[in-house]
Amino acid sequence: MLRFLFRRLLVAIPTLFLVITVAFFMMRAAPGSPFVNERQLSPEVEKVIQAQYGMDRPLVEQYVSYLGDVVRGDFGPSLKYRDKTVLDILKENYGVSLKLGLSAILIAALMGVSLGVIAALRQNKVADYATMTLAILGVCIPTFVTAPLLVLFFASRLGWLPTAGWNNGALLNMVLPVAVLALPQIAIISRLTRAGMIEVLRSNYIRTARAKGLPDNLIVRKHALRAAILPLVSYLGPACAGLLTGSLVVEKIFNLPGLGKFFVISALQRDYTVVMGMVIVYALLILTLNLIADMMYAALDPRVKLS
Amino acid sequence: MIPGSPQRKALLENAVKGRSLWDDARRRLMRNRAAVASMVVLAVMVTLAVVGPFLVPFHYDTVTKTDVWMSPMTGGHLLGTDSLGRDLLARLLAGLGVSLAIGVVATSVSLLIGVVWGSVAGYLGGRLDEVMMRVVDTLYSLPFIFFVILLMVTFGRNIFLIFLAIGAVEWLTMSRIVRGQTLSLKDKEFIEAARAAGLSSGQIIARHIVPNLLGPVVVYVTLTIPAVIIAESFLSFLGLGVQPPMASLGTLIATGAQDMEMAPWLLIFPSLTMIVTLMAFNFIGDGLRDALDPKDR
Amino acid sequence: MGFIFEKGFDVMSHHRNRSADIEKASPLIRKLLLAGLAVLSLAGCGQSAPSRPPCPEGSVCLLYGNGSEPLTLDPHLSTGTWEDRIQSDLLIGLSQSDPEGKPIPGMAERWEISPDGLTWTFYLRKANWSDGVPVTADDFVYSFRRLLDPKIASEYASVFYLMKGARAVNEGKAPPEALGVTAVDPLTLRIELNHPAPYLIELAKHHTMYPVPKHVVEKWGAAWIQPEHFVGNGPYLLKEYRLGNYVRTVKNPKFWDADKVCIDEVRFYPTNDAISAERRVARGELDLNTDIQSNRIAYLKTKMPGYVHTHTYLGIAYLAFNTGPKTGYPPFRDRRVRQALAMAIDKDFITRGLLRGGQTPAATFVPPGVANYPGAEPAYWSAWPFPKRQAEARRLLAAAGYGPGNPLKVDIKHRNSADPMQFMPAVQADWKEIGVETTLTQAEVQIAYADYRARAYQVADAAWIADYNDPTSFLDLQRSYTGAQNYGDYNSPEFDALMAKADMEPDVAKRAAYIAKAEHLMLEDAPIAPIYFYVNKNLVSPKVTGWVDNLLDHHRTRWLCMKPG
Repeated sequence: MLRFLFRRLLVAIPTLFLVITVAFFMMRAAPGSPFVNERQLSPEVEKVIQAQYGMDRPLVEQYVSYLGDVVRGDFGPSLKYRDKTVLDILKENYGVSLKLGLSAILIAALMGVSLGVIAALRQNKVADYATMTLAILGVCIPTFVTAPLLVLFFASRLGWLPTAGWNNGALLNMVLPVAVLALPQIAIISRLTRAGMIEVLRSNYIRTARAKGLPDNLIVRKHALRAAILPLVSYLGPACAGLLTGSLVVEKIFNLPGLGKFFVISALQRDYTVVMGMVIVYALLILTLNLIADMMYAALDPRVKLS
Repeated sequence: MIPGSPQRKALLENAVKGRSLWDDARRRLMRNRAAVASMVVLAVMVTLAVVGPFLVPFHYDTVTKTDVWMSPMTGGHLLGTDSLGRDLLARLLAGLGVSLAIGVVATSVSLLIGVVWGSVAGYLGGRLDEVMMRVVDTLYSLPFIFFVILLMVTFGRNIFLIFLAIGAVEWLTMSRIVRGQTLSLKDKEFIEAARAAGLSSGQIIARHIVPNLLGPVVVYVTLTIPAVIIAESFLSFLGLGVQPPMASLGTLIATGAQDMEMAPWLLIFPSLTMIVTLMAFNFIGDGLRDALDPKDR
Repeated sequence: MGFIFEKGFDVMSHHRNRSADIEKASPLIRKLLLAGLAVLSLAGCGQSAPSRPPCPEGSVCLLYGNGSEPLTLDPHLSTGTWEDRIQSDLLIGLSQSDPEGKPIPGMAERWEISPDGLTWTFYLRKANWSDGVPVTADDFVYSFRRLLDPKIASEYASVFYLMKGARAVNEGKAPPEALGVTAVDPLTLRIELNHPAPYLIELAKHHTMYPVPKHVVEKWGAAWIQPEHFVGNGPYLLKEYRLGNYVRTVKNPKFWDADKVCIDEVRFYPTNDAISAERRVARGELDLNTDIQSNRIAYLKTKMPGYVHTHTYLGIAYLAFNTGPKTGYPPFRDRRVRQALAMAIDKDFITRGLLRGGQTPAATFVPPGVANYPGAEPAYWSAWPFPKRQAEARRLLAAAGYGPGNPLKVDIKHRNSADPMQFMPAVQADWKEIGVETTLTQAEVQIAYADYRARAYQVADAAWIADYNDPTSFLDLQRSYTGAQNYGDYNSPEFDALMAKADMEPDVAKRAAYIAKAEHLMLEDAPIAPIYFYVNKNLVSPKVTGWVDNLLDHHRTRWLCMKPG
């Protein structure tokens, strides 16, 4: 186990390095500059600013010193939000994204697995068709359509829920964003579970268990579910990526103080340091999740050894 | 029996061809009503996207100042108009074409890279395989949406770049599938035979491996196209999609969602078109998979 | 993205045979399902009260939809109106905005202007910073020097080049002491100018001329603006500054006029999505929002009566033609071509048919209602009906050598923000009607301005919002020495001479006459095509009282109050 962890960490470092390098040079290759605005600086003043941020040096030199800073945990000041450092922005906003993402994945797993199991157990019955239709719809309707429709209905029309805002993470404020984030994931997870379950239920060991006269209830819970969930675990990484993309939309529509919106805005405003900080954090997150997924996989499936 | 009669020809042909795996698959596919219906729907969609723009009396970017925000079925506009008085039907057909084109081209890009990468890795195996698959794993763990956004920002919003960017993201899974399939193929007798006949690795990959990958690849392609269409619409929502006055389903939905209380048709029709298209692709993909899945025989 | 169908590929098969016979879902699964549903439907029990953060008993709390995220709250560094709204609650300059946006005495109780208009003397009121230290003329001297310090790199510094020595100080060619600002005594401040400027009192309420507490800034440096260090002289104190979430300010008990301040606490929320913010105002989750999407105004007036506030604004949307001798687009060196394009735009459709937000078609460059200025005579074609203008445009183009066989081809580069995205296709359609082939190129705001500045465009979509209430805030853009922001490289010695004469003219009426002559000349030269004048658009709950719509869109919180309930 430890050896496995160590090996994966060794791979993670060059991966992260690659991410930083590609992102750094792509960002710098982009036309425009963080210091160009409607109101323009005189050339003298602009030179001063460039020097303040070390942007008057050759690009490679800036890159090397940036790497050094990152290793020391210094992500630099934001070029656009001049009262804040990149670390400030990350610290002040990661909580909301994390809370949203975790709630969404939890609910998606709960609902998705339940729906998938029901569909599998009632294959080709109404419940099955209903679940699978829902699953296909969930994948086919973009989140930026579901979000405003849900807001219009549950918030503006019925008045049950707030239309937007975070309000320090009040439960009611979380319902709609989490639902919008979770819906496509529920769709995918229920499909995965259903397929896995059907496969497992047909396998010999389940037949044996059933032949032994074990109650169905127990078979599903103890044997089938465990095996059927395996493909789900390896879906964790992509699911995280999905939540990430979803959060860009959800944070925008629901006006939430999360990290996602800073990425798009900062990329458009050429706030190099903030973009880099976001890229690094998300790459780290995905790497970690993949690692966790691998470990869970091994824990659930005795056939897989971590080597 | 008279030589050369149609019956005899048919008999002969049948005797020679036998019932191939593809015939079986086709028959199974044809029995899948959802898939068949979806194929019909898709055929109609493609035809509309190609021919439609010539049949509609409006051009997708013609501004008609007197026809602003007309509701459907008024003033000769079947689906109504937008804030600039542009005919929604014309824009929808143009947008459908763009979205389908993005779907097909981006998927082809992913297909090309993925098949080459996966089959080479799988066939040659060993160290090379390990390195190549490590690269895929590494790329998997990158926050891709960020890179697509960075690409858009760096090189400007160019429709070809959207093709490329999305295609370059989608090839990873393709290469994994192809590699897995290649691994299982490469020990088969007919490959041994080809090797014994002195064919080079390149020739074997091109002539024997790739053609036999067709099944799973076709399935994956039909499932990738809708994923690409969704991805494009997502970029459009963030304001990074195709450049106006050109439209895609994504840009139409994004603007429609803005005006939905005042002009709901601007959201409803593009959304419906998108959902129907995506569902059709998904049903066809599912149907193909069922048809080609030997486990299910 | 593509993750949707990945990985699960080989397990997602639909199987047609009936295999599973277990009909009943296990109780466990049911429980899981119910738990999931319960979380999603938790609130499904009747209309809930609007979701608002807690407000202390007996206090008045305002939830302020402020448009964007503040890039900085430092008054010497910021540029945005959304930052100005917060800063102007925290700090007060020599003058300040009354509820109508007009200048009234602020830190200066009164002021004197020398007969030549070059020396202004301000007499300060006795007032304290929020930490009890008195505000002195020295704080102002320190602040103005800081504003012009090249190391601070204020984007606004150039506006103050009218102060004696300012330019040299800002370019690092002179020491800070060379600036013509002196503290005569702790409560008397003298400012010397290069030329008479009747608009100085307008400028004095601009956030760049706010004083900063010398003793605090010297101690904390750039971090002085953080809530834990902040000290101000305005009606409110900075309490929380959470990027992406909100900025919270509370009433400053040491403010000289604190008794008359009604609202105790304000939360400024960034509301980039105007439509989402509009729904929040409707539900009472926000009390006001500082923007409305133009084409929704008519709809909102019927749906939310009493909420919509619009007023003419000191801003203009225009097209700039790249006329420069080297980098310009050759056809635009011919004045007839520029005139033809300028007159062939149907501004009525753009404002009334398309944007529908109350914007008004612009015939001049300087908006009506600007201080110290009665306005200029528009170009000769301005009052003609649209078909007549189109005919004249075609004639001019033909005279310049363009026609069906040899059409003029132009490219408009424009920002991809909401309004240009809406009206540029209309301009394209208008020009098509006079036989001009137009392409549109969109760019992010940052790229667009970088391209305009580099003159990498043919026609640019530009916009300008006045920094201070005076015609020169607009017309200075067209002076040949302006450089980068004279996007079209307009170079007219006649225009320059008239503007220079106006600069040196102490008499306001004569000055205005010179400026009007210059503007008329420029309009007929058509280096730019004015399109429409801005409106400011606020969605304000009827619960908020004291809100007066005005030209500058200044609504200081100290003048506002809230009806109970």
